[in-house]
Amino acid sequence: MFEPKRLHPIVIVLTIGKRLKDTIFSFIALFFIWNKGGKLLLFGAIAIAMIVIVLTSFLSWLRYTYRLEHNELRIEYGVFVRKKRYIPLERIQSLDISEGILQRLCGMVKVKIETAGGSGTDEAEAVLAAISKEEARYIQEYIAAAKNPIVHEIESVQEIPSHPVYRMTPSQLILLSLTSGGVGVVISAVLAFFSQLDDLIPFERVFHGVEQWAVSNLIIIVLLIFGGFVVAWVIALIGTMLKYANFNVTKTKHDLVISQGLLEKRQITIPLTRIQAIRINENIVHQWLGYGSVLVESAGGSASNQEGSKVLLLPLVKIDAIENILGPYLTDYQLSSSFNSVPKRAMLRYVFRSWIVIVPVVAAAIFFLKEWGLLSLIVLAWFTFWGILKYKDAGWNLEGQQLNLRYRKIVRSTVFIKKNKIQSLEMKESYFQKRKELGSLEAFVKAGFGGAGGTVIDMDQNDVKKVYSWFSRRS
Amino acid sequence: MILEPQKRISAKALTVWKISGVIKIVISWILTGVVIFLLHSFNGPFWISVLLIGIELISTYLFIFLLPTMKWRRWRYDVRDEEIELQEGIFIVKRTLIPMIRVQHVDTVQGPILRKYQLASVIINTAATSHEIPALEESEAQRLRHFISNLARVADEDV
Repeated sequence: MFEPKRLHPIVIVLTIGKRLKDTIFSFIALFFIWNKGGKLLLFGAIAIAMIVIVLTSFLSWLRYTYRLEHNELRIEYGVFVRKKRYIPLERIQSLDISEGILQRLCGMVKVKIETAGGSGTDEAEAVLAAISKEEARYIQEYIAAAKNPIVHEIESVQEIPSHPVYRMTPSQLILLSLTSGGVGVVISAVLAFFSQLDDLIPFERVFHGVEQWAVSNLIIIVLLIFGGFVVAWVIALIGTMLKYANFNVTKTKHDLVISQGLLEKRQITIPLTRIQAIRINENIVHQWLGYGSVLVESAGGSASNQEGSKVLLLPLVKIDAIENILGPYLTDYQLSSSFNSVPKRAMLRYVFRSWIVIVPVVAAAIFFLKEWGLLSLIVLAWFTFWGILKYKDAGWNLEGQQLNLRYRKIVRSTVFIKKNKIQSLEMKESYFQKRKELGSLEAFVKAGFGGAGGTVIDMDQNDVKKVYSWFSRRS
Repeated sequence: MILEPQKRISAKALTVWKISGVIKIVISWILTGVVIFLLHSFNGPFWISVLLIGIELISTYLFIFLLPTMKWRRWRYDVRDEEIELQEGIFIVKRTLIPMIRVQHVDTVQGPILRKYQLASVIINTAATSHEIPALEESEAQRLRHFISNLARVADEDV
């Protein structure tokens, strides 16, 4: 099957249908806007658009060819910009075969080819929109043969021995619910509450009415806001409790199995070999209490299955205990380690960076609000503090085949990545960084659809280069 | 000290970037013209027009002359047996290492201007990121695509 093949012509109909669906609304909108006579012109425009759609659909079918050659699936396509996509067969993770109504009418199937790659673009995976069933089976077998000549054994029905890794205690569950009740949930709940408030309280009367009235209402408003916060917080708390109740991690031969939930039970299986990185997140309250949460970034899933990519492995645990809990099971990783911090000369840059957004706001506040504007200096102090915190948290370390990065965006993240899991590594150096002999480092790993990883800003230039040459395969 | 990558992209890239710079600048001149015309007809302040023209003059110089040259000078790449190294960036110099075994697939892309000059861009995709080497000679782009996709096949299964 080395000669290039086209898809079944039914694809033209499919493409036309898809493009019509995308443009139909603009047609309808045009139809309503265009009411000042000249309807003929409008129909003419629509007719031309139709012709263009049909023509380009036909051309894109004509141009789209695929073939299996040299252990690659080679797809060439594109009307104006001609593209060639060569996918090595080893890289193909799975074939997803489905049938739509149109495909079924012609006895065709749609084959989606999933590679592990997300690469950020929509077209990361290839789709053969309509090929015959025999053809699909042939491709399937061809790929399977190319990938591994040895046939996999079917897993035995015997019960797989599993070791308990971790079980969350009730007190930890309560602490987790109390301290990380989903800030987003709270805020959105409060906002929703506020929008309801509009109807309940006659704001106009509050502002225009008698002073007494306003004062008593203000108290009610304050109480309502406070009450709203409490309610939102309690709801979030209960939600967290339900979600993470019975949290339990076990290890079978090749997988970590997480089960959680009270009303809605969930079970997540992470193959150990697909773990790309281990991440410890500490929000500021947890950090202060000496707690953190451990996440696993795994290469699971495709666009439609986001589940398996970033999984909470230990929702809340004493930082000192992580090594003891996970050490025996994640033998590749060294989870407790010291960090090299970024040099002192980087501190000012960290502070300036957090100032960029806030200084104009503060300046404007002081300029327009005069004395009251000075209150915004508190915000400035907070941002300064945050910048220094970021500076203090930034760090890195190399341990054999493992790169450890630590940085803070909102929460403090510590990422442990094995060298062979890093997809690409970047070092960056701006003009100002260069003058101070600083540089930034960013490592990308695969996690689900697209990437994840870690980045440390303003490391010492020599340290950046050290990590860079550690990763480089150039001898 | 780590050596920087050695290979440069095609010298014709400079021409292509200048052309696309000209296109962008012409469009923004037209827009500026429209804005100035509107300002004039609504008796807007004169200094805004002067300011706009000033900005346009500067960006004409930047986008057609300075930036393409700087960009071209900085752009370097190396494709070795085990890894790909890229260097780019005008103000922020960025260097990227991509291990060959992490490459998922390679694309070559050719827009109308690039095609006219027999150039093509190579896009290298890993499972998490994608990287573009812009404006290589067509033959070089072809060669690279074959070279990389051949080497990328020496894959281990652990992604």
